[in-house]
Amino acid sequence: MSLNPLVLRADFPLFDHYPDLVYLDNAATTQKPRQVLDAERHFYETANANVHRSSYRLSGLATDAFEGARNTVARFLNAGSADEIIFTRGATEAINLVANSWGSANLKPGDEILVSGYEHHANIVPWQLIAAQTGAIVRAIPVFPDGTLDRTSFLSQLQPQVKLVAITHASNAIGTHLPVLELAAAAHVAGARVLIDGAQAVAHENVDVQALGADFYVFSGHKVYGPTGIGVLYGKAELLADMPPWQGGGDMIDKVSFAGTTFAAPPGRFEAGTPPIAQAVGLAAALDWLSKLDRAALKQHEAHLCALLDAGLRKIPGVRVLGATTERAPLRSLIFDNAHPYDVAQFLDGRDIAVRVGKHCAEPLLDALGVNGTLRVSFAAYNTTADVERFLQALAETLEELA
Amino acid sequence: MSGAAQHEIEQAYAHPFGAQIDRAALSQRLDAAGGWEAKSRLLVQLARELPGLPEQEKNDTNRVSGCESTVWLITRWQDGRLQVAADSDSRVIKGLLTLLLTAYHNRSADEIQRFDIEAWLASLGLVRFLSASRGNGIRAIATRIIEASRQPAG
Ligand SMILES: Cc1ncc(COP(=O)(O)O)c(C=O)c1O
Repeated sequence: MSLNPLVLRADFPLFDHYPDLVYLDNAATTQKPRQVLDAERHFYETANANVHRSSYRLSGLATDAFEGARNTVARFLNAGSADEIIFTRGATEAINLVANSWGSANLKPGDEILVSGYEHHANIVPWQLIAAQTGAIVRAIPVFPDGTLDRTSFLSQLQPQVKLVAITHASNAIGTHLPVLELAAAAHVAGARVLIDGAQAVAHENVDVQALGADFYVFSGHKVYGPTGIGVLYGKAELLADMPPWQGGGDMIDKVSFAGTTFAAPPGRFEAGTPPIAQAVGLAAALDWLSKLDRAALKQHEAHLCALLDAGLRKIPGVRVLGATTERAPLRSLIFDNAHPYDVAQFLDGRDIAVRVGKHCAEPLLDALGVNGTLRVSFAAYNTTADVERFLQALAETLEELA
Repeated sequence: MSGAAQHEIEQAYAHPFGAQIDRAALSQRLDAAGGWEAKSRLLVQLARELPGLPEQEKNDTNRVSGCESTVWLITRWQDGRLQVAADSDSRVIKGLLTLLLTAYHNRSADEIQRFDIEAWLASLGLVRFLSASRGNGIRAIATRIIEASRQPAG
């Protein structure tokens, strides 16, 4: 079965408002299908109440919708149980949760956290903060200037003092897929835990957290056609069971007294306060929307767009694609011999083409590649070959103009 | 400072913006450029008319930090007027800098502090740059210049 992006596009009301928009910043955030918007609205109109209050029926409906969303996420990731799914504000908060909760309980002076050189700042800074508090040390797994991973360095650094390996499933800045299966297996042999940042993977790959051997897996709803303000932490049940709460408040407690408080079991222990209920419902609708597509056909479609883009870029002088020898998510990161990425983006914007420029919150990676900014083109299901053609033509003309 | 370095700095301050080119002249050129693409094109052209800064002045002290592009700014007092020179690795941003220089270069502290740069840029159809990304937004650069105008001369 193949996939018709024009039919999919009709699910996205934003394009009704901007019919000429070529939106190529999907790695930053995707547009939202009507099904997601409808699900949130439907929730507010028919089931809105606070959750986990059992004294009236409406709250039961809200709780069912919220816990139903948790089940949907668990199925989407093939988690062992819905209790392994914690709702957060996004990938960033999910990583901070692990760093603070798991990190404060498990890290001691001299322990090491290995963080890959591809990481988004969201998967670097929380580790630096918890390292500063616990006396642990953050070490980088280097990236070669061509964008490939230094596996040898990884393996040699994988010593008994390494307690956690933090790696991205796919780089948001250059797209490179990390060999997460292989890295996780090696980490486990060495006795380390593994956190995988799936922010750039979930919209494109079938993710099976059990097959990957992830101890923790995180993603953001808004990058997978869902709402902002909601994200997911998957954590293995036996790890979550021993982790202390991070934030305190309602919903995460078992019993509170001034003599001492006991905490709820996961996932509740990690969801202090009123959770993003409608957003969870919206996220579940997004995952349902995505799961109903032929995922293999979708992957093929996105790969086809990349192949067209790559072929077109080869014909434009003065363009370099970063990490070109690596297997990548459907995004391309470009630099130009004679133009600043920001300037190119301004001219593209003049033609209704939206791309992202800058360091993409991945400064260590850009330093390793020896560049100080790129122009990033990133695809989603609704992008078309016409989008690629318009981008290529506008890019060629812009570079000529700026030469 | 070596004689050669001093000479380069003099050249950087000897740009035409706020001197031979005044606000009315720039307003006219920007008004004539309709549409976003034409304005971007004009900004790139204006950037060509700005000599920029010598390499040794493109340092961390003079940098106005930002993510998407880098801006460097230097100021000094000359006969009671603030002189301003600037550069960027982006040509569109460098073009915008010519507007800031036209507004502020070679003016008294009082003139600098009284000028409404936002209203002027808005009237030129460049309001989107006022909301541009944190740090190296045009606002941040204008703020740096206004701060410099509050430092005592000499
Ligand atoms: C790889 C990666 N990790 C983490 C994040 C942070 O996601 P959020 O800002 O939604 O928490 C992003 C977002 O850009 C990302 O691309």
